[in-house]
Formats: sequence, C-alpha cells, structure tokens
Amino acid sequence: MRIVVAVKQILNPAGVVVNLRREMIFVNREEYILGPADKCALEVALQWKEAAGAEVVAVSLGPARADDALREALAMGADAAYHLHDPAFDQADIAVAARALAAATRRLEPVDLVLVGDRSDDTGAGQVGPRLAEALGLPQVTGAYQVRPADGAAEVVRRWQGRFARVWVPLPAVVAVAAGAVKPRYPHGARIMNAYRQWQVARWSAADLGLTEEDLRPLAVYRGQAFPPAPEVGEMVRGEPAEAARELWNILKSQKLV
Amino acid sequence: MDFSYLETLLEEELGPVEEVGEGYRNVWVLAEAAEGRLAPHTLEVMGKARELADSLGVYLYAVLLGHGVSGLAQGLVAYGADKVLVVDAPALEPYQPEVFCHALATLVEEKRPEILLLSASDLGNDLAPRLAQRLRTGLLSHCLDLAVDMAERLLIGTGPAMGGRYFELYVCPEARPQIATVEPGQFRIPYEDPYRSGELEAVDLPLEGVAGRLTWEEVDAPFAPPPEPLSKARVIVAGGRGMGDAESFRLLGALAEALGGQVAGSRGAVDEGWIDEARQVGVANPPVAPRLYLACGISGSVFHCFGMQDTEFLVAINADPEAPIFKVANVGVVGDAKAIVRELLALARGEG
Amino acid sequence: MDFTFPKEYELFRRMVREFAENEVRPLAREIDREGRVPMETIKKAAALGLMGVPFPQEYGGMGGGETGYCILMEELGRVCTSTATVIGAHTGIGAMAIYLDGTPEQKEKYLTPLARGEKIAAFALTEAGAGSDAAAIKTRAVRDGNYFILNGTKQYITNGPQADIVTVMAVTDPSLGARGGVTAFIVEKEFPGFRVGSHENKMGIRGSATSELIFEDCPVPAENVLGQFGAGFITFMKTLDIGRASLGAACLGGAQAALELAMKWAKVREQFGGPIAQKQEVHFMIADMATEIEALRSLIYRTAWLIDTGQPHIKEAAMCKVFGSEVASRCIQRALQIYGALGYSRDYPIERAFRDARIAEIFEGTNEIQRIVIASNLFRPEGVRISP
Repeated sequence: MRIVVAVKQILNPAGVVVNLRREMIFVNREEYILGPADKCALEVALQWKEAAGAEVVAVSLGPARADDALREALAMGADAAYHLHDPAFDQADIAVAARALAAATRRLEPVDLVLVGDRSDDTGAGQVGPRLAEALGLPQVTGAYQVRPADGAAEVVRRWQGRFARVWVPLPAVVAVAAGAVKPRYPHGARIMNAYRQWQVARWSAADLGLTEEDLRPLAVYRGQAFPPAPEVGEMVRGEPAEAARELWNILKSQKLV
Repeated sequence: MDFSYLETLLEEELGPVEEVGEGYRNVWVLAEAAEGRLAPHTLEVMGKARELADSLGVYLYAVLLGHGVSGLAQGLVAYGADKVLVVDAPALEPYQPEVFCHALATLVEEKRPEILLLSASDLGNDLAPRLAQRLRTGLLSHCLDLAVDMAERLLIGTGPAMGGRYFELYVCPEARPQIATVEPGQFRIPYEDPYRSGELEAVDLPLEGVAGRLTWEEVDAPFAPPPEPLSKARVIVAGGRGMGDAESFRLLGALAEALGGQVAGSRGAVDEGWIDEARQVGVANPPVAPRLYLACGISGSVFHCFGMQDTEFLVAINADPEAPIFKVANVGVVGDAKAIVRELLALARGEG
Repeated sequence: MDFTFPKEYELFRRMVREFAENEVRPLAREIDREGRVPMETIKKAAALGLMGVPFPQEYGGMGGGETGYCILMEELGRVCTSTATVIGAHTGIGAMAIYLDGTPEQKEKYLTPLARGEKIAAFALTEAGAGSDAAAIKTRAVRDGNYFILNGTKQYITNGPQADIVTVMAVTDPSLGARGGVTAFIVEKEFPGFRVGSHENKMGIRGSATSELIFEDCPVPAENVLGQFGAGFITFMKTLDIGRASLGAACLGGAQAALELAMKWAKVREQFGGPIAQKQEVHFMIADMATEIEALRSLIYRTAWLIDTGQPHIKEAAMCKVFGSEVASRCIQRALQIYGALGYSRDYPIERAFRDARIAEIFEGTNEIQRIVIASNLFRPEGVRISP
C-alpha cells in the first residue's frame, strides 16, 4: 500500500507584517516552513500507516529550499521523499504544479492514495487536490477531516454544506485534507538528525517527469496586489442595539472579517 | 477592389492572426440548489455575473445540474439569466465530482463560454479545479472581487493571500474559458425581477458512461473537529464584567461559534467565575493574535490589552463611553453589551 | 567562518520551540503553584527523544550532541525553568555520568532506558556538610563480598523523589581523601536500604522536586561501580563540567524570555503620555539585556561546539554557567523593573521567573566555585596552581 503526500513549503506568515496604511508587505523574518495544511495531510497518511500499514512517500515541487520541507516530512515519519526541482518550474502556476505532481505520482505507481492539504496557508488556492485527481483519472474527496482505511477503500468524514458528511471512496483516490483536521505530530528528535545526516531526498527534473513545454506553460498569471482598507481607530457606532449591531455587522463585512 | 492578395501576402509574412479566445463568448454561472431552493451564494454570483455580462455586452447563462431541479430554472431568470441550461438527471444527485465535471465540461466544450463562475462553496471548491484541469484552463479561486479589463477582455480575479491579510490579482490571459470561484458573502444578492424573461433549455446529456465513484453514506454525520488552542484562534469573542452575568457568556459562546471563533474573558470575568482561567486574556496566559477580537463589556485595562495587542481588528462594545478600550479599538460601539451581542448573534446566524 | 547552525539543528529547534509553546507553557504556572513535577510532559518529551538528546542513537539517545542539548535547554528554559530543571538533572548530570564513564554493559543496562525516558535519573553528590567543598562528603561505601554497602544522606538532590537510577558519590577510602578515596556508584531505587527523605520547600523551580536521599546499609553490586574505582572525583567533575554548558543554555532561554516579556509590556504600558517603549531609560535597559543575551548565546554555542568536537572546554563551560546565571538574573531584574508593580504580583509570570532564576547562581557548583575553576584554568599554564 503506497500513499503519496504532496507537500508545499511556504513562507512562514508569522514572520510577515502587512502594513495596510502604507500598502506594503514587510518580511521581518524570512523563514520557510512545511505548510501546516500539508502537515495535516502528512499526519493523516502516517496515522493510516500506523493503522493499516503503508509506505508513505512525500513529494514536493519547489526551489532548492523545498528540500528542507521534505526532510521535515521524513523526520515526521515519511518513508521516502522526492523533490521536483527544475529551473523550468520557476514560472509554474498551480496547473503546472498539478501536472508535475501527477507525473511524479505516475512514476511512483502503484499508488493507492494521494493526500494533499485542502488549502495552503499562503495562496490558499485549494486547487491541487482536484487537479491532481483529474490528471490521474481518480475519484476525489475534498475538505476531509477524517480518512480511515476500509478494505480497498477510504471512509472519509468531510465538510459538506455546513455540516459533516461521511463518504466512501474506492482506492486509488485523491483526498484533500482540511487544515486543522488533525494535530500533526512532532517529528522525533532522532529522525530529525537522521533526515539530514543519513537519509536521501531524490530529485526529479522536468525531463525525468517527461513534461513537455506545453505542460510547463502557466495558465494563470499574476497581475498585482491589493490591500484591504487600513482599519481606522476610533470609529464609533451609536444607536439602539438593533441598529448598532447592524451597522457593526456591515463594517465587519466590508472589512471581510465575517 | 479585391485586396485578398494583400491578406495572403501578410499571412505569409506574419503568419495567421490568432485571435485569443476566439469563438468564446458569454458569461456562465453554475447554479447550486440546496433543500429545494437556489443557494444564496449562487444568487450573489448571479448579481456579479450580470454586471460582468453587461460590461462585456454578452449574455448570461445559468447552468443548473441536478435531479428534480427544473422548477428552479425560472428563478435564475428572475435573478438575471438570459438563458438557463438545465441538466436534470438521476445521475446528478447526489453530487459526484466526476459526473458533474463531465457534464459541465461537455456543455462548455460545446457552447464555449468565455467566463464561467462558480461559488467557492464546498461543491464549487471541489468541482472547479477538476473542471479547470479537464479543460486545460486557469482557475481564479476564492475570489473576493471580480472585474473585467475591457482592453484585453480579461477577467481579473482578486483572491486572498496569506489568509486574507492582503490580496493578489490574477488573470488567465490565453486559456478559455476563464473560470473563477467566488467567495460567498462578498456580493449582494440582486433584485429579483419576476417579470424578466429568458430562455429555458433542457439539455439531455449522455451520463451513463461516467461513474460517480463516491458513496454518500451519511449526510449529517456526528463529528466534531479537534479544538484549536485559544492562542491560534482567528476570531475571539471576549467578555468582561460589563456582560453582567454568567448567562450572557452563553450568548458569547453562541456568537463565537456562529463566527467560527472562540470565547475568552477578561480578568474580571474570571474573578466572577463566569469563564475559566484558561480562557483569560491578559498577562498571565499566552497572548492571542486573532484577526477579529470582539471585546464585549471589557473596559480595556492595559493588562488586558497586553494579551491581545496583536489583534488585527479590534471591536469594543461597552456601555461606558469613557472606557479606555475605545482609544485603541478600530470600531467602538457604545451601548448595552448584552443586548448588542444578542442582535449580533441573530445577524451572524441569519447570514450563516 | 560559518556561524549558522546545521539544518538539522534548525529543524530541531523549531520542533522544540513548538513543543515548548504547546505542551510545556500551558502547565508552567500550575506546576509552580501546586509544586508538582509535570510527569505527563516528561512522558511526551520522552516519546520525542527529548530525554536523551546528547546521547548516541545506539544507546537510545537522539544523537544531537551537546549542541542539540543546549538548544533543547534554551527553548525549555525560555518557557518553564522547572521543566528544564527536571530534564536537565536527568540528562545533563544523572544520565550523563553513566554516558561519560560507564562500561558498555552499564550503558546498555542503564543509559538506554534513561535516554529513552523510560526511567528517570538523578545525580547525588551534595550533602549537608559538603556543598562547594565536595571533598567533604561523608557517605560511606564499604566493600562486603560482591557488594558495597552504602550509608549516608545526600541532600538537595533534584529528581530525588522521581529517580529510578541515581549516580551516587561515596567515600571508599577515607584516608585517601578526594584523590583516590571517592568512588561513583549506580544505584537503583529498588535496592533495599534506599529511600527518599524529606522534600525541600523551595523558593523557585517548584515544578521540580528536590529531596534528601537516604542510604541505610544499602547494598550496591560491585559491577555498579561507575568509572574507575577510587576515581569518583574525576567522574563527577567531568560530569559537572559538561552539565554547566547546558545549564547556561537554560539561563539563556530564561534571559530571552525576560527580554521578550519586557518588550511586549513596554509597547502597551503608557505613562507620561506615551508607551514606555518610547522612554530612554527603557531603551537602555532593553539594549543592555539584548547585548548580554547575544554575548551569552555566542558563548554557549561555541562551548557546545568545543564539547562536540572533543576540544578542551572546562573553562568555557564554567563561564557559561557563571555568565549565564548572572545574565539571566540581571535580565529578569530589569524586566521586573520595567513591569513595575504588576511584575510584583503573583498572578503574573515575572515573579515566577524571578524566583526560578536565583538558584542558577547556586546549584551545580556555586558561581564562586565557577570563578575559581576559570581562574585555575587561566593560571595553570602560568605555573600557578590554585586550590579553593
């Protein structure tokens, strides 16, 4: 039984300050971490491994520093790690990443389960899971909070229209794990040491994955930044409770806080 | 005069002119129904889609996929659709990603909309990326705003970056259709015009070849996600002495739940026994750093402010207009905290 | 010159930081108030290999060396001095003695379960009459066939009540004194005649337990002699020498916490028309704190590097201890001053830090002894031999 977990290394948002008044982003501490949403996916894979046995393989597409995220995945308990690294990926958008990850997954066949984080903590696009599923021709479940082995299938509890639904999906399948679904484990100290001193992270280039120029062309292009309005201090709302509450609610909506 | 030889010459020199997005026209919306009604977020998208269609001078189509949903089609016209494509088949209930993807892709490939909008609902988030991959096109997801660059006839999607602390704009310059998912609650539901006329088309799609491989075992499963620590909460509803009694903290709890956040309290509330010491915001516990902090009936001593100084947006609700917290709050509401919280709860629930 | 940590240590630090924030910090106030040892935290730490950080993996340790161990102690010290003390006494001196001077069989039998955190260790040297004057210990070990019979009382032993395995220093030949007359022994708590005596009611680090250990005709098998017979002094000095560096690291963590708390407070506290973070007196205090912390940090990790690369480190380790404990005390004092009256309240963390920090200048070799060690190391090449 082989589980592939696609992980992404992100800039730690805790080290970033967004100054709304000046409409500028300051990186006070440039620290890269294994995305918490992907850590949840990895944790789900590791729990599956403990419950029913499996080989857990971590895969990541990213620049050279993504190697650290893969080492962390190994330290947490992954059995192997693959780094998809190539200058050709520099301009990659989510569609390109999905194609590369799909190609990597095919190279790792037979694969029974592919787990990804539902929404990464930086761009939060949430596209990788379903894109991967389509590229691999597999069934998909997104918004998963619980993923349990069930005899050649997975029993998934997923978020659905304000409630939780239980869904059964045959393997192989792609499941996108919701952030906060599980508490990811801490990597064991000895595994942290070994992840850097003993174990290897394999590297695959675009050529290794058999990706064409067409595959590598990004579809969505970045156009610019925008900022929410800088919150003023001291804006006062008065009136009867009902109208005051409504005015407050409207303010919160306009600030996109609720 | 016949200048066709000029075109031939130019073609030989410059190559054929490729019109980007040629043949793709109109704005489409995938409509969702729940419990026999059109979903409110679908109507929000319809409103914005109508605006976009008018800017571009094209038609707005709504697509309705499901079983037993035909009766809702007219409603979509009332909310702005010029045409509604209805695919009503047993295979489309319950939701199956692969079946929906196949159905929608087939329609899109045949009729070629230039823009396709879905809600960033659980269904939309599940379906849109798969569809985009199938159609080899780009997807602008979780959009908080949409606009059109008229010069290039491009849809500009504004999406959240870093959890929404700022925004990033994306376009899909070449691939078509341009697909976007729209975050619920961003746009107003438009005026319903029951006298509006539009075309309803029942589409018969062959769906037998596509298997829906999910089995929906239980639609309302009892499940509670693991609790997150207070220090990580994105929304905090905190109460102080000004709340008046223990009962009001139940209200605060309900409001916190409705907003997807957690309850906390000031030192005063803890001393009164209204809330657990572990939920005290101040100097003794680890600090909190939520996006939204609602301080209800809290005067705002410096000790309390210490614990929540990293709040992004602070709302203070207090009966005392001189309370120090009003000096640091982004929005201050003067009034009876308990009453205002009660009203807020109703609003939060109504929208949710 | 590369002053960056190798990447495994950066990942390790991040893991320990998260562990400290999520698992250790929430209990810090409670264990101090109740005066209880957080055994549940110890269990969690053991499961992550944090009870044997410096020891090789072949003996159940993490293989992190002294550098990894200092990182652990710094991050724990930043959050809860009591927890750092429990783990420090266990790893840094209790188990460390067995690691430094144990036979392969002893390491197999005792070090492995200690490194895995399956058992808890303590280090028993001090007695009522023998603190800085360690040579004045009176606990007696008399040979009796295949055993040594121990008699005596050890005092101020951290982890005394919890320890499963204790490294004990006893006099085997009174006539020889420190040189040749003291031997180290490994004692298991199940040995008859061993019991835990009275508990100390301490000013600080109340989340760790300190007690008497009483030996009444306690038979210790001869194969439990640790290190060379009669060379116990060397065993314990070696152990304490290394232990000092990591104690300094815990003090570094405490000083860092004081700086962070002081700055956070200065940002919100307003007096004379603005936050006190704008006042020059506060600037000077913060700058002094930060400078000392920076100097201490370099000292600690350079010393850890010396230890890990097998270089002489006795002087530097003593400097870590004396400088670390005093920097921590000064930083906490300044932070307390910045907090003002609020800092004096038992409801807030500064007063706990204040009580916790003081012991660092006293235990594991008083700062006076450390200074003698440093001076001795400096004068020895000049041909001057110092004795306390």
